[in-house]
Amino acid sequence: MPIPSLCGATAAMLKVVGAILVLCAGALIGLHMSHQYASRPRQIRQLIQALQRLETEISYGATPLAEAFHSIARQAAGPVAVLLGAAAEELQSESADTRGALERSAERCWGRTALRPAEREIWLHLGSILGVSDRDDQIRHLRLAMSQLKSEEDAAQEDQRRYASMWRSLGLLGGALVAILLY
Amino acid sequence: MLEPILNALPPMIRELIASLPQQVLDDLEEIRVREKRPLEVMYRGVYRYVSVDGGLTEDVLSAYLPTREDCRILLDMLTNHSVYTLEEELKRGYITVRGGHRVGLCGKAILEDGSVRQLRDINSFNIRIAREVIGAAAELLPRLVEPGSFRISNTLIISPPQQGKTTLIRDLARLISTGGWNREGPPAPAYKVGIVDERSEIAGAIKGVPSFSVGPRTDVLDGCPKAEGMMMMIRGMSPDVVIVDEIGRPEDAVAIQEALRCGIRVIATAHGRHFEDIRNRPMMRGLIRHAVFSRYVVLGRTYGIGRVYRIYDESGKLADSLIVRGDGRDA
Repeated sequence: MPIPSLCGATAAMLKVVGAILVLCAGALIGLHMSHQYASRPRQIRQLIQALQRLETEISYGATPLAEAFHSIARQAAGPVAVLLGAAAEELQSESADTRGALERSAERCWGRTALRPAEREIWLHLGSILGVSDRDDQIRHLRLAMSQLKSEEDAAQEDQRRYASMWRSLGLLGGALVAILLY
Repeated sequence: MLEPILNALPPMIRELIASLPQQVLDDLEEIRVREKRPLEVMYRGVYRYVSVDGGLTEDVLSAYLPTREDCRILLDMLTNHSVYTLEEELKRGYITVRGGHRVGLCGKAILEDGSVRQLRDINSFNIRIAREVIGAAAELLPRLVEPGSFRISNTLIISPPQQGKTTLIRDLARLISTGGWNREGPPAPAYKVGIVDERSEIAGAIKGVPSFSVGPRTDVLDGCPKAEGMMMMIRGMSPDVVIVDEIGRPEDAVAIQEALRCGIRVIATAHGRHFEDIRNRPMMRGLIRHAVFSRYVVLGRTYGIGRVYRIYDESGKLADSLIVRGDGRDA
């Protein structure tokens, strides 16, 4: 709808500003997506490292699970540390079983990570096997989870190589396209 | 006191147990959870099933049947999410949880070289509620000292299971280690007490620290075989009194005699219904012949009336008996 009270020059100005905003939004969406692609393999790697430390805590230290999670959370960084810390907290609260604790930690913190449903499945599966058997068995299960994560990491790296730069340019170009169409 | 146990129960069972009448909860002695078999409780020596609507019943058909999920959560909670930290305990078939309660476990045993390496598929739990009854031994202790002095007599306490003998020796340890338990005359001295707690029942130690009050001058050797533990106590801790639960093996007798040679007084318990049960056991016969113990106390309790102690002297003659009125639980 035309805005009758504005003169031509002001209208043109607004149009340019709008176009720049659309362009920026497109570029930001692209950057965010590409960042997600770049973060996912890194976070999977951090999760694998955390599980490696958990294996040590269980096999050599025989540390109770809640304490073990606290200590691996302290050594991790970023969103993965938040996830591990949340799990430790849930494990320490009374009347929470391991599976429930890991489920709730995922509900609380999964959104902050760049991790996908495949990793979430592995995480939730850990909830039903951690702490329910002897050390040898725990180590076998942890190794299995780590190898599953490793293959996810490989896939994630492949995705990153393919899509990360694509999303960066796609965002900017998409923004430009929308701006031109609206102009 | 029930709080840590209630928190460890899976939601459904927790609700059922918590809804039992308060008198039952006060006297609860055991909760037995068996996968797909009726949930059972024991209080005041009575066994009852717990029905699906939270009442007590003798009818198997109306009882709540714990599910596989219930058992999974229960084991998870009892072991603090960490079965792998309790491998040694699982081999022995029981664990001690917060509050000093003991939980017996059954499942499938995994063998290695003919001995149990692991217990898995755990599906039966016997949660034994440990009760600390402060003062349980107050009436008995004055009869266990040598006349005219405060020296503790070597005492053997004889009782069938679930008659509160562990509660009794726990309180004996507390009183002897605290001192000043006598009502008249100069206060009794506080002795150094060593408890060899092979099954973590007397002190209910978690990570080596007693859950129950066992007295200020008491050392607890937790989870250690009795005979070896007594020798360790004698060598390292110089106790005045050593307390052990459930003696029965020949090496226990050797360790007790070794303790006596060092001038240490011993209070021990043994399974048995009557004094005669004990007299007929080869290992005990030797101890009795050598007059190792100067007091034998036979425990009995009658619900609703009280607790009866029969005290025999070193030759096996009934010397004294003591009736403590009460509901039979808190002596």
